[in-house]
Amino acid sequence: QEEAQAIDQELFTEYKFSVDQLMELAGLSCATAIAKTYPPSSFTTSQPAVLVVCGPGNNGGDGLVCARHLKMFGYHPTVYYPKRPSKPLFEGLTTQCQKMDIPFLSEFPAEAALIDELYGLVVDAIFGFSFKGAVREPFGSILSTLERITVPIASIDIPSGWDVEKGKADGLQPDMLISLTAPKKAAVHFAGRYHFLGGRFVPAALQEKYALNLPPYPETECVLQLT
Amino acid sequence: QAFPLPSLPRKQPTVLVVCGPAQNGAIGLVCARHLRIFDYEPTIFYPKRSMDPLYRDFTTQCEKMDIPFLSYLPTEVQLINDAYNAVVDAVLGAEAEAGEGKEPCAAILATLKHVRIPIVSLDVPSGWDVEAGSSGGISPDVLVSLSAPKQCARRFLGRQHFVAGRFLPYDMQKKFELNPPEYPGTECVVALRAPR
Repeated sequence: QEEAQAIDQELFTEYKFSVDQLMELAGLSCATAIAKTYPPSSFTTSQPAVLVVCGPGNNGGDGLVCARHLKMFGYHPTVYYPKRPSKPLFEGLTTQCQKMDIPFLSEFPAEAALIDELYGLVVDAIFGFSFKGAVREPFGSILSTLERITVPIASIDIPSGWDVEKGKADGLQPDMLISLTAPKKAAVHFAGRYHFLGGRFVPAALQEKYALNLPPYPETECVLQLT
Repeated sequence: QAFPLPSLPRKQPTVLVVCGPAQNGAIGLVCARHLRIFDYEPTIFYPKRSMDPLYRDFTTQCEKMDIPFLSYLPTEVQLINDAYNAVVDAVLGAEAEAGEGKEPCAAILATLKHVRIPIVSLDVPSGWDVEAGSSGGISPDVLVSLSAPKQCARRFLGRQHFVAGRFLPYDMQKKFELNPPEYPGTECVVALRAPR
């Protein structure tokens, strides 16, 4: 977890990347991985409906960017974003989604069965690699519900609720994991079908410095399928 | 896409990226950074740097990624032809009006007119009038229209014309009657049919 935070810090302070820049590339990677794996034609719901659940931090921001790109790729995303930071970055991302007619739910579907009926996929953008400690409401109940759905879950960077290094045996079991920048330690516990790498912005010098040993991305793709 | 790595004539995948003082130049800086990530070897010529903090950060990002910045552009065109596989023209965009006549843009464009290696222009071939096009200006091989093609794109005679505008919301497309083509898969650019 510390290494991931150190890399992030270096990208922002040494390389002068803005959070906006990297978040946009991260969110785009997530949408791309999803589009490659669960194309709109594969949905059994009448529309390719996707529920994007956004948490209170940067992982939630990644989710908002992802939702916007999913819309451009022909999906029908719906966002649930209960705790919104009052920062221009997040307000801007929210506005961009709203202006693209992406609905924001005022409450979370009460039951797992309802989610299964309405959506063909759920994007878990609740907690990311900075997550520590206890899960605060409303996210505890949200995660309990998500643990009971049968439609696939695509988690951004870390399955929410997992310990960033050790995982969580009785926690969320996503079908897809999109590791951003580099896979985190918890990824060894990932048991789903699809593991993608995204966030193709790490300069070669940083990759070497932290011995990331990332396999090469194909051509101009912004994602790499690891499994 | 237009110049995949295996297709390049030179041993090293070198590309010269010429950046003007305004937004078009800044887009060139971002392009150079992504070219580096794609394993090309970009070199930047950015004689007149913007004071905009965002653009200055783009410059830092490129510098920290070991992308060299030339201190001058050779006027001897053969030197450019020999050193690089292609030139990215990010000098002037659609916003430029007086830019063309001013230095250092005028001298840069005079040199670029004579290079023999392919030129990729970002949005508008630099020096062209954004609506009427140009006579005697640079002749790019590839044009990448940003958001939507500009009027002068009708005069484009090069090999490939791409549109990069997949980020435009649907209601804006309708409002401005853009009728964009369909983007394949998850691609962010689409190649329009080459002009006849």
